Amino acid sequence: MSNATSDKPLLIATGVSKHYQMGPSRLDVLKACSLHVKRGEFVAIMGRSGSGKSTLLHILGALDTAQAGKVEFDGQDVFGAGSERRRVRFRRNQFGFVFQFYHLLPELTVLENVLITEMIRTPIAGWLARRGDARKRALAIIDRVGLSARIRHRPNELSGGERQRVALARALVHQPAILLADEPTGNLDRESGAGILDLLLGLHGDGQTIVMVTHDKAVADRADRTLNLVDGRLRDE
Amino acid sequence: MYKLFLTLRYLRKRRIAFFAIGAVTLCVAMVLIVLSVMGGWLEQVMQRSRGLLGDIIVDNHTNSGFPLYDEFITEIEKWPEVVKATPVLYSYGLFQIGKTYNGTVRIVGIRLEEVFEVNAFKASLFYEKFYPGTTRFGDQQQAVLGFDPDAPPVKSPEGDEFMMRELPEPYRSALSHADQVHREQTGQPLTDTDSVPDLVDDSRTHYGQPPIPGLFELAEMRNPPGYEGDTLPGVILGRDLIAERQRDGRYERFIPLGEVVRLTMVPITEVGNVDPTPIKRQFRYADDSRTGIYEIDSQHVYVDFGLMQQLLLMDEGKGVDGDVIPARCSQIQIKTIDGADTEALAQRMEDLYLSYLEDPKRELRPIDRDLIARVQAVTWQRQQAHIIGPVQKEKALMTILFGIISLVAVALVLCILYMIVLQKTRDIGIIKAIGGSSVGVAAVWVLYGLAVGVVGCALGSAFGVWFVSNINEIQDALIAINPAWRVWDMQVYSFDRIPSRVATSDLIGVNAIGVLAATVGSVAAAWRAGRMQPVEALRDE
Repeated sequence: MSNATSDKPLLIATGVSKHYQMGPSRLDVLKACSLHVKRGEFVAIMGRSGSGKSTLLHILGALDTAQAGKVEFDGQDVFGAGSERRRVRFRRNQFGFVFQFYHLLPELTVLENVLITEMIRTPIAGWLARRGDARKRALAIIDRVGLSARIRHRPNELSGGERQRVALARALVHQPAILLADEPTGNLDRESGAGILDLLLGLHGDGQTIVMVTHDKAVADRADRTLNLVDGRLRDE
Repeated sequence: MYKLFLTLRYLRKRRIAFFAIGAVTLCVAMVLIVLSVMGGWLEQVMQRSRGLLGDIIVDNHTNSGFPLYDEFITEIEKWPEVVKATPVLYSYGLFQIGKTYNGTVRIVGIRLEEVFEVNAFKASLFYEKFYPGTTRFGDQQQAVLGFDPDAPPVKSPEGDEFMMRELPEPYRSALSHADQVHREQTGQPLTDTDSVPDLVDDSRTHYGQPPIPGLFELAEMRNPPGYEGDTLPGVILGRDLIAERQRDGRYERFIPLGEVVRLTMVPITEVGNVDPTPIKRQFRYADDSRTGIYEIDSQHVYVDFGLMQQLLLMDEGKGVDGDVIPARCSQIQIKTIDGADTEALAQRMEDLYLSYLEDPKRELRPIDRDLIARVQAVTWQRQQAHIIGPVQKEKALMTILFGIISLVAVALVLCILYMIVLQKTRDIGIIKAIGGSSVGVAAVWVLYGLAVGVVGCALGSAFGVWFVSNINEIQDALIAINPAWRVWDMQVYSFDRIPSRVATSDLIGVNAIGVLAATVGSVAAAWRAGRMQPVEALRDE
């Protein structure tokens, strides 16, 4: 399906383990999970609800930390020295997130929700100089997700599918190296879900590297490769 | 960039923040009002308690007074630090004007020309301002407004011709001269904004003529302007004795200039005994003084020092055994040059006065020695310390009390921002997920507190300045609704108007502390926001 994959892995996770201590008992969510994602690849991670696939995605995207294991992005250790700053830098510049529940900022319009990613990346002086370019990029990506007519609307004035399109635009506006999507269709009706999936496939067709978590086999089947997370362990399908 | 953007957006969109801004606004306004009123009060106390005093005051704090004041004044006026010195007499008496208006007053004997040089008494006089050179204690009749046969008639807007009442000389020339000088200095005509216009003024205004400042008796029939009545010495009255202050702060005079004033005073002997025969004397109202201190303006009358000395039997005389009894005064007021060390100078003056006791050339009677031995020289600040000191302490106390109360605003900002952080937990997770750092997220909330402080302080300052500027009008409006709502009683607080000036230093200080307090109040919220883990924050329900 992919037309732009490269043999060189962009993201490598090695022996990633995560557990939660709940009083005297310990819940092992991830047990020495390893995976690699090539540049331009579309990888789906499947698993039942509560299997730890979102946790794995959060660790891969430097949103969460693991108790053991290593995550490398383009040859750099995501959890290396100066971890917090390093993780912020990765999240800010390399990763784009799409969440199941959209997670848009309710006080901001569609355009502002997309632009906020650029604002975070740009200091105030630079923003004054590059504001026009950022706005053009934001409008272009909003146009791509089909919401040009809704740029002044707030999230509570949009449907679920439209919100997820805004979330997708926000994740892509800074042209991340990798898009991490956590159940992007999980909260949508069939039609809206299909629309989002089509957008993801279109992006993948343009060379975007995507890691998507889903519990829906039909959605996972559209990816280049599917990994199953069962009992905390990752297996190739 | 996102920090500023989100701060401003949350400020507009989170209505709960308006409560924090409201709290800061009220506290800033409250502290500013208290500081301004108390600071203004202190300033007025200092200025006005100073107003009728010299830089240094020599006094022996007895009703009998003390002798050798002329020798002392002659001597100290040779000192380079001394500009002028003048003796003053104080006594109490009964005041009567017209047939019914009477009361107890403090009678002050002054040498008018000398007092003008020593303190701000001249500036407190009403008629002297409009008719310079006419206020005097010498014998005088009552000036009356009359019709000048040589003056051309004036036309009314309706075309009627009328003769206008005019002032007699030298009032007419003095007013014209004062008006000319005022125009040269300010470009504006000299107008009386302190008084309610009387019927004569209304009539003159109708015919396009300038009003006549003050209240004058009218000549009978169509008599020309001039003078009427017995020739009597002049007396200057505290303004609240002859006029009533209106709600707008202007005075309505009810006694015309030159009206007969009867004073009854009781001489006090050198040993402090009261002479059983009261002295009654008639005067003519020659001017009125307004210091702004109600206690002074409602109770003080000023007469010629020499005349009062004679009436109180304090002038030089001969005893039954032929001894010379020296003249006495109650106080000496001294003006010094700018920058003089008045404390040291006062000590030198006191030493000089006490040295008269040791001077073998002076044959002082035992009673004179007793009176001189009590003489003290103090600076005006020390003389009024009993008034200034408590006000200074009261100002500090009030500022501390209201400062403590204002901590409520800090607590409220803290609670509200903390509450907003809890409400926005998921947003914080989102911001962190898309690249916001812990420091950056914390900065959003510090900026938020800062913005609450800046907006609250700006609104509080505007409200506080407006309130202080209109505080007297607000009180007047409240009194008009219900007289019991008077909060500033001029008889209690000495001043007839509530101080209404905001000091720039107070404004800057209160704003700086207000902004700082609101920012400090945001630190806990910022700390919590910064420490939130993005995954946990995103899971927040």
